[in-house]
Amino acid sequence: MSGTHLIETLINGLISGSIYALVGSGLALVYGTTRVLNFAHGELLMLAGYFILLFAVTLGWPVILAAIATIVLVMVLGALLQRVTIAPLMAREDWAFSVIAVTIGLSIFLQSGAQLIWGEQYQGVPYFFHGVAVIGEVRMPWQRIAILVVALGVMGICGLILYRTKLGRIVRATAQDAEAALAVGIPAGRVHTIVFAISAGLAGTAAILLSPLITVNPWMGASYLLKGFAVVILGGLGSFGGAVAAGFLLGLIETFSVAFVPSEWSNVIAFAFLIAVITARPEGLFAGRGA
Amino acid sequence: MLEVFGRHPFRAILIWALLLVVVPFLPLDDYILHILTLFLIFAVFATGWNLTLGILGLKTLGHHAFFAIGAYASALVSHYFGVSPWLTIWLGAIVAAIAGIVIGFPILRIRSMPHVAIVTLAFAEIVRLVLSNLKEITRGELGFWGIPPFDPISLGGTTIKFGLGNAFGSFAVAAVMFVGVHLLLLMLLKSRSGLTFLAIRDAEAAAESLGVKLAAWKLFAFGVSAAIVGLSGAVYAHYVLILTPSSVAGPDMLISLLAMIIVGGVGRFFGPIYGALLLTVTSELLRDFGDYRMLLYGALIVVFVFAAPAGIAGLKPAFWRKRPEAAQKPAEAT
Repeated sequence: MSGTHLIETLINGLISGSIYALVGSGLALVYGTTRVLNFAHGELLMLAGYFILLFAVTLGWPVILAAIATIVLVMVLGALLQRVTIAPLMAREDWAFSVIAVTIGLSIFLQSGAQLIWGEQYQGVPYFFHGVAVIGEVRMPWQRIAILVVALGVMGICGLILYRTKLGRIVRATAQDAEAALAVGIPAGRVHTIVFAISAGLAGTAAILLSPLITVNPWMGASYLLKGFAVVILGGLGSFGGAVAAGFLLGLIETFSVAFVPSEWSNVIAFAFLIAVITARPEGLFAGRGA
Repeated sequence: MLEVFGRHPFRAILIWALLLVVVPFLPLDDYILHILTLFLIFAVFATGWNLTLGILGLKTLGHHAFFAIGAYASALVSHYFGVSPWLTIWLGAIVAAIAGIVIGFPILRIRSMPHVAIVTLAFAEIVRLVLSNLKEITRGELGFWGIPPFDPISLGGTTIKFGLGNAFGSFAVAAVMFVGVHLLLLMLLKSRSGLTFLAIRDAEAAAESLGVKLAAWKLFAFGVSAAIVGLSGAVYAHYVLILTPSSVAGPDMLISLLAMIIVGGVGRFFGPIYGALLLTVTSELLRDFGDYRMLLYGALIVVFVFAAPAGIAGLKPAFWRKRPEAAQKPAEAT
């Protein structure tokens, strides 16, 4: 592997890693705070893909406006999902499995719903950023660089909110002990809804960044879901920072594995690595403080 | 904790067996026999999965992998080595059982439901990818065809044929498997080992403190469950005669079977049978609306979890519901 190729592979790994980090950190945030594994998370991403397609392409809005509208809309959907389907189940004794089952059902429902509404064709969104950055011998389209920069920015903001603001303290307190949080006057139910909205916003960001590269289709979320879960586990269940780190690690493992094995085997390696980590270190690679 | 079986489980199996014996004498066309054959195969699959999911209480989500392993193992060996399918279906079951025990090891170390769900899901994805990547052997997503049907057998002068155009033979194989698997499993579960499974589900720590070797029992259950599912997969392979990785190990299979178990009743012995019957028949009735099948399954899962968490099997006997549920499950490990 030559120097240039090495740097390109590294950057590509960080770019796909940033998408895994966006998807996984949203799942981790929800899991850390509410102990819910949201199998419909990928469909929030998919719906956000169709929203950006609608706003930016069909309606021709400026990219920034379309992106903001998409994120707001998908955050509302995330909050709605939590209020309508998940919150009522949390009171049950067997809620852990009920929630998994319901979100799986919802996920396939939304997928086939999208297929019926928008059809099976893959719809392209034009690049938001044009041109290619040339640094020395390394060439990289600006659109791909933008994925890394925007993803880091958005996750940075989320990190700041979580660890430096009052809302973040409230979220972390609820994550540690929802009942104790209720006792000191924190509306834990509302916190759960907020967390789902933030998580949906992260998925929406991933969708916006991805849509020009992979095109919008009903299955675009499903393929990221299992990767997202892998990130949650590798990062230490429920740790936001751990999930971000694990997302980048998974991206790097995948891109570097392509150097050694044919690309269709890269997912096999990623998931085998996941099972190996769970066997050796069930608490994850970056286990630390929760949420 | 014995509400799992309903009131007269052996009598129920006898009734099923009698119904299945009567079916071939009814004036039914081959198409209906075909649907019933599919129902019987999926019912065995669902029952096998329900053993870990409902009866042992381990929320595994990757049993479609064992179905695929059983199906491909049997199909490949019978195709490439010319071994009779009557023998290779057992090989399929054994290979699936070994895979179940192997994947059982990482699961033993974890008590958290999300970990179990994700590990099993990742395992199923690995199986699907391996089957579709080994193109030289399985032809990948193009589909593996040329699977031999079961060899004809002679019974006192009459020869029973299997495969295309011989709906009765395939129905008979599926029916024998259905009755055999359910009878043997019920005998196992009604014995001391069955009580051990239920004890592990209802109070894992208490069971362990009474000397139940959790690891060994869970591995055993995993092996049995995977073997049953693998056997159903193998019979499926020699019935439909073509396999693709995404049709047997893809998400649609996971959703269909999960819907059957949830609609029928998670953790009820007969639940998955009702679920398999209802959904196999409904999806055939909706055949012209193929695109709506997954929409329906998704909606059914959501509706049943909300409105009837114990499924169809839980709706019937009001008798059991009046009893206070003794020994509630301890808080699930998170």
